[in-house]
Amino acid sequence: MSSPEVGVARVDREALREAIAEKYAQVATNPEIGFHFHTGRPLAMRLLYPASAIDALPPATIDSFAGTGNPFLFGDLRRGEHVVDVGCGAGLDTLIAAGHVGPSGRVMAIDMTSEMRQKTTEGAAVMDLKNVDVREGFAESLPVEDGWADVVISNGVVNLCPDKRAVFREMFRVLKPGGRIQIGDILVHKEVPQSAKDDIALWSG
Amino acid sequence: MLLEQTGFVDVVLSNEVDVFSGSKHESDARDFETRGVTVFARRA
Repeated sequence: MSSPEVGVARVDREALREAIAEKYAQVATNPEIGFHFHTGRPLAMRLLYPASAIDALPPATIDSFAGTGNPFLFGDLRRGEHVVDVGCGAGLDTLIAAGHVGPSGRVMAIDMTSEMRQKTTEGAAVMDLKNVDVREGFAESLPVEDGWADVVISNGVVNLCPDKRAVFREMFRVLKPGGRIQIGDILVHKEVPQSAKDDIALWSG
Repeated sequence: MLLEQTGFVDVVLSNEVDVFSGSKHESDARDFETRGVTVFARRA
């Protein structure tokens, strides 16, 4: 029996996507019910987002925020930059990025969950942001042309993807040479047993 | 490691954040020492 390739877990990918989409549809539509992970403004404060940046966003966007890091810890994005938000969720990072890059920039927000895409679309409309383009897609096959992006952001998404190598390849593909990733995710310091890696319920939380 | 194998350079990790304390995932997160982190890297 061969060992699985590094960065590739052995789960039923379609079943995993369905379970994750179902979970995050709930985060989008019923954030108040509570989840196995933190959400909303308290989480954003824990992740060191400036209160002023959060207060500028629609409450519905904030309430459905879920993430594990803060893509802007490494600095604001620059005017005119092209940004891809991989797994945009409710759009909190998308809307902040759209403000950073301004009207001459563009943010392509990608998510597989329709309820989350709807939430991001509504948030951009409330803020009258014309530089946000919301698209359906998967992290492993981004609907973005080669070399389009100056920056790829993401938050709490890579850990939900069984083939992390494919995700990083896609981020690399869509970036311009010299472009950067600023992504929040998780680090696991202890070896996770294969039985846990194979348990979809643990992936989707 | 995966990032560098993919062709990214200048990889930097932020300070780690205990993102699961107080959540229903706290026990699992503690068992595997799971922390939130933000990663910067550049395409070569």
